Amino acid sequence: MPETAPLEVRDASGRTFLSLDATGHVTGYCGHVDLGTGVQTALSQIVAEELDLPLERVTMVLGDTSRTPDQGPTIASETIQVSSVPLRQAAATLRAALLDRARLRLNAPREALAIEAGRIHHAERCLGYGDLIETPGEWLEIDPEAPLKPAAEFRLVGQKTGRRDLPDKLVGAHEFIHDVVVAGMVHGHVVRPPYAGRDSGDFVGTSLIGYDEAAVADMPGFIAIVREGDFLGAVAERSDQARAIAEALPVQWRMPPPLPDMGDLAGTIRAQPATPRVLDTTGSIDKGLDASDRVLRRSYVWPYHLHGSIGPSCSVADWNDGAPILWTGSQNPHMLRGDLATLTGLPPERIDVRRHQAAGCYGRNCADDVGGDALLMSRAVGRPVRVQLTRAQETLWEPKGAGQIMDVEGGLKDGALHAYRLDTWYPSNRGPNLALLLTGAIGNEPRPVPMGDRTVVPPYSIPNKRITVHDLAPIVRAAWMRGVSALPNTFAHECFIDEMAAEAGADPVAFRLKHVADPRQAELIRQTAEKAGWSEQAGPRLRREGRMAYGQGFAFATYVHGDFPGTAAASAAWVCAVAIDTQTGEVTLSRVFVGQDQGLVINPDGVRQQIHGNVHQTAGRVLNESVSFDAITPTQKSWADYSVIRMDEVPEVETLLIERPDEPPLGVGESAAVPSAAAISNAIFDATGVRMREAPFTPERMRAALREAGYDAVAVDAAPAPRPRRGLWRRAALALGTIGSALTVGAVGIPTARSLPPVTPPPASSFSAELLEQGRQVFATGNCSHCHTAVGGAANAGGLAVETPFGTIWTTNITPDPETGLGRWSFAAFDRAMRRGISRDGSNLYPAFPYTSFAGMSDEDMFALYAYMQTLEPVRSETPKPQMLAPTNLRLANAGWNLLFHQNRRLEPDPAQSAEWNRGRYLVETVGHCSACHSPRNALAATKDGAAHLTGAMVKGWYAPPIAGPQAAARGWDKDAFAAYLKSGHASGIASAAGPMADVVANLQEVESADLDAMATYLASLTADAAPVRPAPEPAPAPMLNTATHRLFENACAVCHEPALEGIVTAAQVPLGQSMAVRAPSPETAEIVIREGLRAPDALDLADMPGFAAELSETQIADLARYLRARYAPDLPAWPEP
Amino acid sequence: MTGPVATTITTTINGAEHRIDRADGRMLLDVLRDDLGLTGAKYGCGMAQCGACTVLVDGRPARACVLRTGRVAGRNITTLEGLAEPDGRLHPVQQAFLECEGAQCGYCLNGMVMTTLALLADTPAPTEAEIRDALRHNLCRCGTHTEIIASARRAAELMGDRNA
Repeated sequence: MPETAPLEVRDASGRTFLSLDATGHVTGYCGHVDLGTGVQTALSQIVAEELDLPLERVTMVLGDTSRTPDQGPTIASETIQVSSVPLRQAAATLRAALLDRARLRLNAPREALAIEAGRIHHAERCLGYGDLIETPGEWLEIDPEAPLKPAAEFRLVGQKTGRRDLPDKLVGAHEFIHDVVVAGMVHGHVVRPPYAGRDSGDFVGTSLIGYDEAAVADMPGFIAIVREGDFLGAVAERSDQARAIAEALPVQWRMPPPLPDMGDLAGTIRAQPATPRVLDTTGSIDKGLDASDRVLRRSYVWPYHLHGSIGPSCSVADWNDGAPILWTGSQNPHMLRGDLATLTGLPPERIDVRRHQAAGCYGRNCADDVGGDALLMSRAVGRPVRVQLTRAQETLWEPKGAGQIMDVEGGLKDGALHAYRLDTWYPSNRGPNLALLLTGAIGNEPRPVPMGDRTVVPPYSIPNKRITVHDLAPIVRAAWMRGVSALPNTFAHECFIDEMAAEAGADPVAFRLKHVADPRQAELIRQTAEKAGWSEQAGPRLRREGRMAYGQGFAFATYVHGDFPGTAAASAAWVCAVAIDTQTGEVTLSRVFVGQDQGLVINPDGVRQQIHGNVHQTAGRVLNESVSFDAITPTQKSWADYSVIRMDEVPEVETLLIERPDEPPLGVGESAAVPSAAAISNAIFDATGVRMREAPFTPERMRAALREAGYDAVAVDAAPAPRPRRGLWRRAALALGTIGSALTVGAVGIPTARSLPPVTPPPASSFSAELLEQGRQVFATGNCSHCHTAVGGAANAGGLAVETPFGTIWTTNITPDPETGLGRWSFAAFDRAMRRGISRDGSNLYPAFPYTSFAGMSDEDMFALYAYMQTLEPVRSETPKPQMLAPTNLRLANAGWNLLFHQNRRLEPDPAQSAEWNRGRYLVETVGHCSACHSPRNALAATKDGAAHLTGAMVKGWYAPPIAGPQAAARGWDKDAFAAYLKSGHASGIASAAGPMADVVANLQEVESADLDAMATYLASLTADAAPVRPAPEPAPAPMLNTATHRLFENACAVCHEPALEGIVTAAQVPLGQSMAVRAPSPETAEIVIREGLRAPDALDLADMPGFAAELSETQIADLARYLRARYAPDLPAWPEP
Repeated sequence: MTGPVATTITTTINGAEHRIDRADGRMLLDVLRDDLGLTGAKYGCGMAQCGACTVLVDGRPARACVLRTGRVAGRNITTLEGLAEPDGRLHPVQQAFLECEGAQCGYCLNGMVMTTLALLADTPAPTEAEIRDALRHNLCRCGTHTEIIASARRAAELMGDRNA
């Protein structure tokens, strides 16, 4: 087929809405975007319907600034209701024109033509739509009079239609914005200022003091550091490199000023400068209240929420020599283009913004901001740059769904609402692009935007009203979020009318109907209540079964969007059922029935899905979600402490779509969310008689409200574990902070023994391969390199700091470097150091170096070790001087210590035991120096022996658990378990090596298997005498009260520690009930693991754990450690509060 | 006894063998998405909290955002791209999510599909409670839970048909 220019349909200002190509395929253009709600499919249906085309012959292009008309941001559920109108009219125009042309070409009267699947028939002849394009480049203007197809003839609209984007998404072929790859693309990672989530004040854009590019310029993949005002970012070849550079970059910022007290949300919001806007003054509010029989004053508080897109925002920019292309997931491509023009000084037409689907956004998240980030970095480096925000960056900086305060005063007269005053404060705006604020391209002054007026007038006939919106600028970045201000406003309206119904002794549904004038609204309320099985009631029914209380709640709203007085979208009514545990305060939303009137239904499945989505999302918002703040910024950085609703918590949802095929279609993207909070609050009242006026309705808030209302206190079985016994802690504290095991520089300046002369050791070639192999194994068994290698330092060159109760010492360089290592040490000097703790120069070594164990080594092993160490790679590295407290830095102290605690003699075999046992004992007690960590130490830091030998100790915050005696036996340690553990780092059902022990086991991989078996045999013999018949069962986890820490565990930890499926590869290998970090005498180990995570050595097949230092506060970490103790070690005393 | 740890590992991804550098400690998710162009698994949180990055390792689910490449040496990895038949026929679990429209934005879809697959391997005919429980650590923000649960039920039926 020859290439023919398409036939376009444009509006009067020349914007193209449709184009028909020669093959008969139609492309529609819409300035709005698909936020994951399926409007792309619905718009295709509308076009295909009007043109009588099969759905697959219509393509929709959404939100591409070079091709689609500017129809404003995709907000307020307007796409179907507003943006589809010109599109449908364009399709009708095209259809009429095609029929007209066919009439002439087929020489037939118009009424004799039939259309079928994009072909126009008359008798035996037919023409395809594409055949009817006449002149190249021709276009039609939208004819506002072109007849629209009557609803009765619809065959696509109103029918179940599968989502068109789903097949590709299901096989990983859909190109989300996160998946876009541009040729030559590199990666940027932003470094945000410390005033996270703030958007006004003189510090915004002016707080960056400096940074040290030289410190990171040598890192792998480095391309550039980009700075403009407070905008700072790193560009690198790979995304992980860019992140590593950004995180390593030393940056100095000014300290931001504090936020007002966000703990007192209502007080703080009311205290901000605001401009009142009076929107409804029906009757006289003062007279109306005076004349009322009963007046109630109520305040309702709505928290800050996260949009919480599952995918943090991402964008790719190509500066393209000043004609930039931006790939974005924005909700507002045209608005973003304007912002980028302001940012760059380019005319908007020079910028091409191409929209891809992102993760669902429900409002203004960071999608636009990251576009600015990418463009700034691409301009700086002259290459396309992709920026992927982290979860923490998205969460901290996204413009939040704003907190809102609603104060209501209303009066009842003769059983009807007589007066209603509402004042509302909504501190939000449109979320100015962050790049504009950080670079100073726009000012940092507060910017109020009047959007607090959505559904601000209650949908009831009330003779006296005064409705006032107090417009105010954001306190922290805030912008529209699903339901905007209509959801909080309706929370107030619909809770208040419920209270009034109770005051009037009327059924809440009947009471509403009495006040509703609009017949469609009345019909919706009536039908929803009836189909949902609403039980008439006058006052709360207080249904109870044991400690559970059950209730039903009703609420209804018409979502009004756009500037006041606005446009009505679909109306929705909720009937919901709740079950409340009156002791724990947990609210279960068990069922939600939603009736909705949306006029013409385009795609019934799509409408139902939007209802389901609104119900589940807002149920979570109402029951659990709120953003918290510290003195300066929002605090949440991950899902750990922000609970969105989970699969096991969502209610059953039923829907009722009111049939109105002859009414225009109304937006459904948000309506079903709007009644949520009020319906749930009203149901809680029906169940308990308690009114919840501040969301979210968390267990803590419910417990407090129930206690205040006289409900019983929390049952014992749901309480946290009892308080600890203090005396034990003082004793255990003595064991804290003891020592590792390393050869440390002399604790004394003056030698107490004679110096041994430096020598030139024998050349490595003089040692046999067998000897060197023997030495290598001794070296590995002794785990020497672990203690003698600093973090990030050269292998075996020392410098690892060892904190001891008596000061800090640094491990020595054990490479054969002649100046700073052992390169001039004779075997005699080495042997003396290993057995007696005396350095070559005669100074005493601190007993952190376990010479007390090494003294028992055989001469053969000692020489093999010496030989092997002379073949290590020499590294020049001075050891720092120790910093010791008196009296350990006195010359006689160490010598005296040796006299007390050290016996320098070879370990003799026990003839009564097997050769294997003796071999194991030798390895455990001498070379392996297990007691250095696993034996408790006395007050002078000497390891205890006898019954205390190998019975567990704290070492540098890590718990080295009992590996001998009854406690080890009770955990199930036997020969097989020890052998498995030493060989793989994992003893099934007992332990996985973590922390320093993981490195020990990694080194043991170099050791002969028979030797590890021997060690297992010996260790098992130390537990055998004390062994109970069966190991103690893992204690059952204690039931825990639902607190913020409990939810933190469920959100952040349970995925790996209480996995939902067996065998999750990234799950923990040992249940927390057996974790020695949880069973340790003090919380340090658990806190270290939570903070730093675990990184298993490459040689071992063990699991890693991410660290939470960047996500959680120290208080959260401390609380979580104590929670783990109480839940998983209920048989042990609780840890003291920090 | 083992020798020194190798700096590259070999792993099988969707049936094809790949050699991957382990030395820089990158996460499997970054390697799949950035190096191999397998973008079905999504970055959501980087902390194993949301499940958008789920892949199967030897048939068991794994959170690829916290799984270092060094940990998958010699393992068999399946991603969303590896489920359908070579002729394009969808895996029954994918087919079920298509029929029941178990996605709105579809960003969590990968994790939902992969986790459902693992669930059905253990429990071929799960109850609704078992489905909800198995998917409780996969977050969906659009509120598609109703359709996802229905998809998982349908997947069990389709798998049953295939195995019958």
